[in-house]
Amino acid sequence: MTPPLLEVEDLSVRFDTDDGFVHAVDRLSFTLDTGEVLGIVGESGCGKSVTSMALVRLLPETAVVGGRVLFDGVDLLGLSSRRLRQVRGRQISYVFQEPMTSLNPVFTVGYQIGEVLRRHLGLSRAAARDRALELLRLVRIPAPERRLDDYPHQLSGGMRQRVMIAMALACDPKVLVADEPTTALDVTIQAGILDLMRDIRERLGTAIILITHNLGVVADVADRVLVMYAGRKAEESGVDDLFAHPQHPYTIGLLGAIPRPYEGEGARRRLQEIPGRVPSLRVLPTACAFADRCSRADELSRTQVPELREVRPRHFVACFHPGET
Amino acid sequence: MSVAAETTSPADPRARRRRLLRKRFLRRPMAVGGLLVVAVFVVVAIFAPWLAPYGAGATDFNSLLAHPSSKHLLGTDELGRDVLSRVFWGARASMQVGFLSTMLAMVIAVPVGMVAGYYRGWVDTVIARLTDVLLAFPFLILAVGLAAILGPSLLNATLALGVGAVPGFVRIARGEMLALREEDYVPAAIVNGANDATIIFRHILPNMTSTLLVQATVTIPGAIVGEAVLSFLGLGVQPPTPSWGVMLQDAQSYLAQAPRLAIFPGLAIVFAALAFNVLGDGLRDVLDPRTTR
Repeated sequence: MTPPLLEVEDLSVRFDTDDGFVHAVDRLSFTLDTGEVLGIVGESGCGKSVTSMALVRLLPETAVVGGRVLFDGVDLLGLSSRRLRQVRGRQISYVFQEPMTSLNPVFTVGYQIGEVLRRHLGLSRAAARDRALELLRLVRIPAPERRLDDYPHQLSGGMRQRVMIAMALACDPKVLVADEPTTALDVTIQAGILDLMRDIRERLGTAIILITHNLGVVADVADRVLVMYAGRKAEESGVDDLFAHPQHPYTIGLLGAIPRPYEGEGARRRLQEIPGRVPSLRVLPTACAFADRCSRADELSRTQVPELREVRPRHFVACFHPGET
Repeated sequence: MSVAAETTSPADPRARRRRLLRKRFLRRPMAVGGLLVVAVFVVVAIFAPWLAPYGAGATDFNSLLAHPSSKHLLGTDELGRDVLSRVFWGARASMQVGFLSTMLAMVIAVPVGMVAGYYRGWVDTVIARLTDVLLAFPFLILAVGLAAILGPSLLNATLALGVGAVPGFVRIARGEMLALREEDYVPAAIVNGANDATIIFRHILPNMTSTLLVQATVTIPGAIVGEAVLSFLGLGVQPPTPSWGVMLQDAQSYLAQAPRLAIFPGLAIVFAALAFNVLGDGLRDVLDPRTTR
């Protein structure tokens, strides 16, 4: 078996705040193979965005990052800033949640895409422009010749997100990290962007890490899913297995919270919420972080931290009482 | 998926935005007037040798302290020099000092302020506190002090006024940077592999041009008045070279007999300073991002 493209080992992130450390991510490990789409799912504040930002070292200086992020055998966390800049945008690209503000308002989109190309590939102005046009076409922006000279404020949110994706794909990166790429967009446009992501993986073979709080998005695009809770991995498996045989009560709770208006026998099903709130991350847990919100919690859950176990083939759960119901 | 639904405005955006800005500018009569007066002064300064009826130092001993007449539109001074010509020639010193000292201040202050605002930390603390200390000095006092140290000359007056305007620009550039570094396009540039210099000067600097432009139109009249003050005090342009400040200084001795010798260069200073200020106000209104879209 070939080594994975990206290997995250025991990634820990804590923030040094005025009232002590906040443990945003706690010993998270996962791998990403070439051309694979990994979905990372969880509630707000579970550490999924922090994880993705830690991969490209985008966190502020108050963050203490531990562990290793091996990309092609090189630890990104130990790279010099010069080498790191050569990886950013070239090997690993990032798409932000906010397409409305992530483009520089004073430059045309063609210029902004071209800038990345000129920096990493040393293209000439004209060649960069040609390639930018090609990229706009790739992300299916209509009338790309005209859009090239548009300023960001002239584009809609969905168009801007396409431009951001075009920019991220400019240098044909091996990994694309997309942090909630569809959250800020209309539902119809979300579908278009997800379609595009699938298309990119298919055509370019780019591996994608898709951060989302929307299990529907994951079901649509991902090959494998990692469910995070309170900075730790709660469950990980292939996407079909996760939806067919969810094991962690948190995952089951998340699945119950998906609106399904057209299912059932006409009767409207009440959405199941998960009671309680995400626990504070100020102290390292001495119990299962989900125990307070879990119907299966018992003495064991409240006194020990569950370790990850393989309950089904390639299906890992951190729970003392895994099971489908 | 519906691609068509995402389509927005028609093409040719740059021309349209420029047209919009021009329209908004033209709707402000004060600003347009300011621009016209500024343009007149600049033209006069550049073309003084051709526009002035007499040379800067040309004397007419047949008409000393003459009243305005068809021969000397604004009269003559105690040496028989044509006042109108000297106001024209004096515009050169004023415009030169106004523009050059402001440019000097920007070249020094903007990078310093941006670096302070971008990196924060102790560098920022030192620069910001130093700026506060310098801003505690009135601008002219600072400039007078510097000019006194450097010695009197047009170049030194320019340097003194330029350095005197540095703290104001540092504060503006730093403040803008503090706001702009939080914009989402900054991390977006970082993950695309841009280095700090690229981010500061290519991505952030263009976003603060309108603010800097407005600050410049406020600094220029300050420098014009400053030049007059320095020359009046003998720390700027040296007689017989004409400058509005020098003319005021010369007029002092004849205030009782010929107050017009002080009034005409004084009016020139007032109009020049006022025009720049009014233009600056107009530009600020037009370029204000909150009303741009």
